[in-house]
Amino acid sequence: MQTVATFKVKVRRFDPAVDESPHYDEFEIVGQDNWRVLDVVRNIYERHAGDLAFQFACRVGRCGTCAVKVNGVPVLACQERCKPEMTIEPLTPFPVLRDLVVDRTEIEERYASLALTPQRTEAYKQGPEALDPQRAEEICKLDSCLSCMVCVSACPAVEGRAFDGPAFILKLRHMARHPADSGDRLTQAVDSGMLECFGCDLCTQLCPADLSPAQAIREFRRDMVFGSDK
Amino acid sequence: MQEPPLYTEQVDVLIAGSGAAGMRAAIAAHDAGASVVVLAKGPRRANHTRMSGGRYNAVSGLNPGDSVDAFCRDTVEAGAGISNYKLARILAEEAMDRAYDLESYGLAWDRKEPLRYCTSMTGGGSFVRTLGSVDEGIGITEVMLHQLHKRAIRILDFHMLADVVQDDNGRVVGGLALDLSRGVWRYFSAGAVVIATGGTSQLYETSSGPAINTGDGIAIALRAGAELVDIEFMQFIPISFVSPPSARGYTLTEPAHYGKRHVDPTAEGGTLLNNRGERFILKHDPVRREGSTRDVLARAIMLEILEGRGTPEGGVLMVPDQDVFESFLKERPIYVKRLLENYGESQARFEAPIQVMPSALYTLGGVRINPECRCNVPGLIVGGEAAGGVHGANRLGGSSMPDIQVFGRRAGLAAAQEARGEKGVGARFEKKALARAGQLEQCLGRADGLRPVEVKQQIQKLMWDNVGLVRSEKQLRHTLEAFANLREHVLPHARVSSGARVLNREWMEVLELENLLDVGEAMATASLQRKETRGAHYRTDYTETSTEWAANLVVSRDGKKIKVQKVPLVTGGEAGVQLEPEKALASCKQ
Repeated sequence: MQTVATFKVKVRRFDPAVDESPHYDEFEIVGQDNWRVLDVVRNIYERHAGDLAFQFACRVGRCGTCAVKVNGVPVLACQERCKPEMTIEPLTPFPVLRDLVVDRTEIEERYASLALTPQRTEAYKQGPEALDPQRAEEICKLDSCLSCMVCVSACPAVEGRAFDGPAFILKLRHMARHPADSGDRLTQAVDSGMLECFGCDLCTQLCPADLSPAQAIREFRRDMVFGSDK
Repeated sequence: MQEPPLYTEQVDVLIAGSGAAGMRAAIAAHDAGASVVVLAKGPRRANHTRMSGGRYNAVSGLNPGDSVDAFCRDTVEAGAGISNYKLARILAEEAMDRAYDLESYGLAWDRKEPLRYCTSMTGGGSFVRTLGSVDEGIGITEVMLHQLHKRAIRILDFHMLADVVQDDNGRVVGGLALDLSRGVWRYFSAGAVVIATGGTSQLYETSSGPAINTGDGIAIALRAGAELVDIEFMQFIPISFVSPPSARGYTLTEPAHYGKRHVDPTAEGGTLLNNRGERFILKHDPVRREGSTRDVLARAIMLEILEGRGTPEGGVLMVPDQDVFESFLKERPIYVKRLLENYGESQARFEAPIQVMPSALYTLGGVRINPECRCNVPGLIVGGEAAGGVHGANRLGGSSMPDIQVFGRRAGLAAAQEARGEKGVGARFEKKALARAGQLEQCLGRADGLRPVEVKQQIQKLMWDNVGLVRSEKQLRHTLEAFANLREHVLPHARVSSGARVLNREWMEVLELENLLDVGEAMATASLQRKETRGAHYRTDYTETSTEWAANLVVSRDGKKIKVQKVPLVTGGEAGVQLEPEKALASCKQ
């Protein structure tokens, strides 16, 4: 059974078209102890601040579009349990459209530039493509990345160096492990700044889909030395 | 008053919706030589396909007993005899080719051997024919999205289709969209507009779909003069989470409750119990029991809850089969995690009963289309959940994924063909677009009236209580009166607290409210007309299925007035495959 809980919440408000600088609005929200951050944000919108800009769609950790920072840590709002005191901010380092919503244009351009479709040497023939069952499972896991940008936001290498971020390497690893793909994904990963990763594993710890971009990076690095077993 | 900011451009095919139907239409239209723009109401990944378990019915040749005929028959039988036979046949014929397309895009279907896919059962099916992949709907949408990127197809995030624009003969010549991220209007003069905006599960208090599924495209088509078919049928998934609030209504994947029946049609599923420990499904379907179709299971659970035999939180108990835990953990680990987070360790391990409730899942009806996905409005093409006919009165589990691939592609092909002869005509009608934009701006910064979220909650409660799993004339009439009141007295004053143009959620919700009311009214009106019980439509005042109603209801609008017409079923030609009416009747009485 759930029990009543009170949350003290600060929300970062910013409309680039009007405001010179961001400010924080404070709310005290009464909910239940099993509430997620999204439940609190929706409550603020529904009861207190009808002009709050925020984004969510699936509410169950699948669309990856509700990511925000809570007390400085990037999380999916729909999955993160509430803390008694929370400061909710938009995901960094992305441009803010308004309040908690970021502009993903550049993110999508980056995905598009990586050409993440299997580059086939022979045209696909209708009918099951030969694929080892375990490899199929591995590929599927790599492909279940939500593109939520939690790992990119948290990555200290992205912050200080020329590195696109862990999520993009995970996608490249998906293609690298796909037997039908002939692209040079390792070179792409290096060009994306993969070698700037210093292995802190924060991406793995924060991934809402329980994936490990850090492991994908380690495997790419191993391939650099020993070659790929594809 | 200042003129609304509006930017006009020309495109061959405008597609509303970034789920699998919209993306598949975009790929097909582009490959057929058309220029394409895809509108996504939120960020492009915020779509219903992504939430799906990704299970995919197809005649793969792996089960020698299965056939196109059998898949078609299962579809029509699950549809309680009133599916559009031609569309059901196309689904059965083309599903596997579209599954191969997905494989060519990079999707890895689960397999046991390198050349042999894993197949399983779903609700209502009589053959093992369902493919799947560990990455589910996420994997399907990802591989498709990269195909759009590869083709450099423009996808516009945060663009909501507000209405289509028609020439003086009623032909669709463009679409008016609100760019929510900039707060400006965009008018796309287009040779064809594809509606792939999905369903309308947001009409209900508890639903499994995303918050964006407010039936926009269905309502837009209805306003443009399109006919809707089978719109009285809303599919509810029987087994979904009860708590916490953010997860209420989210589907607990079918293998969790089907247990061994997931791979063996003769095996038992998990057991459903009410608060007295009674296995209540035996009253409703003593033959298939918990392996029954989704409509029967959902209604059985809802009746227990309504009649006071549910849990305090409004659910019933599902006792899963412990023997299947290991394979469930391997195949669907994410659901084990969700069970752990939402309920606790013993539930996650299948060692304790799991609280479940029904939830609005899939809009079975929709715009009435022909096999090319065209409707009665020229220039308007509809595919995916926004279209009706394939699934009739109920849908097989695992059939929405092939539906949106098969008919998404057909919609794209038809749109590209439609656009060939129509270049730049729509630009002449920019004034119409501007006038409509002006109307839709009037609510901005209006400080009186109810908040849109409050109006939405009223609509959702009315639909859940009266136009949901259990319906009657009294409930339906009450709902229609309440809707008329909302439309006349409440909606014109709905409050938009801020005049901000960028990402003004209340403004978007006011636009959505009109769509919700349009579709809700059509659903309630058709439900009132259908004086019988069939598939997902259960009337407490007409509990029997009647041969007289082995027909489709077609809803259209004449100004503000709703018209309902009873039309004969679309049947197939091939002898021996077509479902006999008596058999269809028998299947829905089970």
